[in-house]
Formats: sequence, C-alpha cells, structure tokens
Amino acid sequence: MSAHALIIEPFEIFAFMRAALVACLALALSNGAVGTLLVLRRMSLDGDVLGHAVMPGAAIGFLYAGPSPTWLSLGGAASGLAVAALTGLIAGGRAQRDAGLVAFYLVALSLGVVLVAWRGSNVDVMRVLFGTVLAIDQVALLQIAAASSVIVLVIAALYRPLAVGAFDPGFLRAVATRAPYGGVFQALMVLALVESFQAFGTLLAVGPLLLPAAAARCWGLGVAASMALATGFGFAASVVGLLVSYHVNLPSGPAIVLAAGLLFGISLVVTSSLRRLAPLIGGEA
Amino acid sequence: MHALFLATAGLVVQIPSEDLPLGIEGKSVVRSLGRIEADGRVRLRDVTVRYARRVALEGVSGEFGSGSLTAVVGANGAGKTTLLAAIAGAVPLAGGAVDCAARERLAYLPQLAAIDREYPLTVSELITLGGWQEFGAFRSPRAAMRERAAAAAETVGLARRLRQSICELSVGELQRALFARVMLQDATVILLDEPFAAVDAPTISILLDQVTRWQQEGRTVIAVLHDLDLVRARFPSTLVLARRCIAWGNTEAALSAVAA
Repeated sequence: MSAHALIIEPFEIFAFMRAALVACLALALSNGAVGTLLVLRRMSLDGDVLGHAVMPGAAIGFLYAGPSPTWLSLGGAASGLAVAALTGLIAGGRAQRDAGLVAFYLVALSLGVVLVAWRGSNVDVMRVLFGTVLAIDQVALLQIAAASSVIVLVIAALYRPLAVGAFDPGFLRAVATRAPYGGVFQALMVLALVESFQAFGTLLAVGPLLLPAAAARCWGLGVAASMALATGFGFAASVVGLLVSYHVNLPSGPAIVLAAGLLFGISLVVTSSLRRLAPLIGGEA
Repeated sequence: MHALFLATAGLVVQIPSEDLPLGIEGKSVVRSLGRIEADGRVRLRDVTVRYARRVALEGVSGEFGSGSLTAVVGANGAGKTTLLAAIAGAVPLAGGAVDCAARERLAYLPQLAAIDREYPLTVSELITLGGWQEFGAFRSPRAAMRERAAAAAETVGLARRLRQSICELSVGELQRALFARVMLQDATVILLDEPFAAVDAPTISILLDQVTRWQQEGRTVIAVLHDLDLVRARFPSTLVLARRCIAWGNTEAALSAVAA
C-alpha cells in the first residue's frame, strides 16, 4: 500500500473522516492550553470529575431535544458549571476533598446514564458514553471550532494570571485582589470538556485534554512551550488515531485516546532514561 | 472553517515571550528606594478567627507601629500563620477588625511549603513578578523593572542564577528569590511566615540583613519566627501568641514575661 493510500486517501474519500479530523484538530488547539494549566495546577482529578459532571445536563438536553449537538452542549455546560461551583464548597482536607470529588463523579455518571436510558436506546447510551467522533455534523463542528477559539483567546489574554495562579495562588490573590481567575479557569475547563464530550463522550472526554498535556509536561519546558508541544501531541494523536481506526476498523475515539496515551508513555520513558543517561555522557538533562 | 482559522490565530497570540534580559552583573548595587512615607500602621482590634468550630485566634488587640520590626512567636497551633493571614485579609474574621491603611501595598511571604517548586519558571521570571503592581496582568515588564529584578537578585546573591529554572534552586536559594520578589513589591507592610525555616546559615544572614534594610527604609515588618536567640538579637519588638495575645512589646520584656 502506498503512503498516499495509507495517509491521504481516507480523508480524500470520506467527508466524515475530514469532519472528524478538523474537529480533533480544533479540540487539540484548546486542549493543549487548558490541559497544560490543568496538569500544572495538579487538578487532573478535578478535570476527570468535571468530564462526568457534563453528563446529567447533557442527558436532560437529550431528553428535551433528542441528539441535538446544541442542546447536549447547553445542558452539559450548565451541569458542568454547577458541579464546578459545588466542588468549590467541599471543605476539609485533601483526602475528604478527593472522596467528595469521586462521589460527584459517580453520581453524575449514573444519573446521566439513567436519564438517557429512560427515553433513549442502548445506542444513545453508547453515544453519550463514548462519543461519536465519526458522526460530527456541520453544527457540531462549528460549535467545537467556536468554543476552541474562545478558549484559546481567553487563555492568550489572561495568560499571566492563569500561569501565576497555578504556581503561587496566594501571591495572585495578594496582587490581584478580587479578580476571580480560579473561577475563570474552571469555566474554561468546563467549556473544553463540553466540546470534547461531543466527540469523545463523557468517559473519554478528559483523555484528549489530559494525556497530550501530561506527555508534554515530561519534557520540562516552560509553560507556553509546554502548551505548544501539548497541542502538537494532540494533533499527532488525532491523525494517528483516526488512521489506525480506519485501516484496522477500531472505534475512533478510543483509538485517538490510545494514541495520546502511547505518546505519554513514550515521553515518560524517553525523558526518564535521558535523565539517567545524562551524567554518564556528561551532558545536561 | 474560518472559526478554526481563528483558533489557529489565537494559538499564535497566546505565547508571549517571557524571556528577560540578563542583568547587570558585577555592578554591585544594593538599591534602596529611600525612606518611604506611607502610613504602615497595622492596628488589631479584638481580632478573632475560627476554622469551623476551632478557635485559631481570640480577641487579639494591639498595634504594629509604622516602620516597626516585630517578631511573632508561639508554640505550633498558636495562631501565628492565622494572624498574618488575617492582616493580609486572606481569612475571614469571626470578630473584631484589622485596620491597615496599606492593605494595597502589602507583601505576604507564606511558608515555603505553599509554593510548587516543580513549576517551570525561571528565577528571573519569579523575581520580576514582584513588580505586578506596575505591569499588572497584561502588560510586559519594562526595562527598569527588569533592572530592579537583576539588582534584587544581586543583593540576595542569585545574580548568576537568573536564567535557571526554580526547580534547580535549593530551599535556601528559593527563599532568597522570594525575598527578592518581595523587594520588588516595594510594600509598606511586609509579612514573613517562618522565613528562616529549613534555610542554611549563610542565607539566614543575607536575609536578616535585608529585613533590617526594610526597617531602615521605614517599612513595617512582621515575621513569624521560632529561634528566640535570633529574635533577641535582631528584632526590637515581639508578640507572643497562644491563640490569645500573651505579651506584646519590647522583645526582652515580652519574652521574660513568658518565661516568668
């Protein structure tokens, strides 16, 4: 098989492959930036919880209007923001907070599945759990691209406070009194997860957000460079995942997340062995 | 598709270049901004703080004079950190009030443990953040600010480390960098929470000199400390806390009141 048949042809022939590719690339743009901040803030668990928090609202949107991307997004955003606000109220220590977050995650997921199964079919349940990256229509595509643009522009504008807040929140509170940057970041995270939900479903939505960013973080770069590398990893995982799923006939969403996971594994192994080898060859890690 | 293009354009905008010029090494500058005139008094009236049901501070009253240098001492859990947080306005008061005219010109250095040392940030970027009041969230720091950052780094002995990442610093060096950041903040009131904990002796002596310099410049400095010998040697006033105020005033008198 020629390289053309392997790489270009699937996108040439099928419109759904092109739509999926554009959606994934748009997602990768915003996910690189949001995911990097998420990893730097050590909020991976929060991201996972919010990924599922989207579910009950999306389910209500589904009950109201059927599988319409607009209503799924609106409902998902509403319940995501509500849970983000609620998690802020969990008092107590780290352990108690983790337990509280996991409780939210399980309740939200179960509630969502129950609501969708009440009126919908098994196909609908699978759709909200794992997404439909190969069935992205024009409306969903425009939504994803628009949300991605908003996220990237907001992070560009608020880059410094968002980056400093991840490092030394006490300092940010002291110098920028009463500016709710923490809330802004949570809203960005919910928006990123809602658009990711369209393509990857509630169970995998956090994958394309977190994995490329975690992979990029291994390389020890600065914040902005880490965001750029995470976006690059996101692009690569999308293209590789879609092509593998096409040629080997695998589900696309999980294939893309697996490709991102593979990049994370490679980054982890390569950077840690470089660090171990550096003293031997006299270079710097 | 044009929306996707917009997203691409946004990514290009989002990477501001943060690299700062290397400072004026070799030029020995201990830059002082001269004596400041602002009112640095901090008056506590019956300050009470509770965490859930637990009382952390109860009915603390008194005044830190403008330009005073005070050590806050007391056992673990005596409410020392809470007192600083209350002055900084970082915890809600259950009762009483803190009068601090210089709230907007206040620098608060928390315990080192509160800072993520793995974060990808250079020493120079960390110190320059002290100038936030001038450049804010959006503008980039001006050349004068970068020079002040380099000068502050020189003062605390980090002139050669400016371009390094903060994860390469030792605990003592990180504390030096954070002191340099406070220097740039040009604050009227400076709160330090255990600034010398887990810090090596040469660093302590450099940082103590800076604390003295701050006082000479007319700034109010309030520091939580454990080493009583150091308090006796370098701090004119002392506040002894055990949730309530046990003694407050001249260091020798305050500490002997506790011993008696």
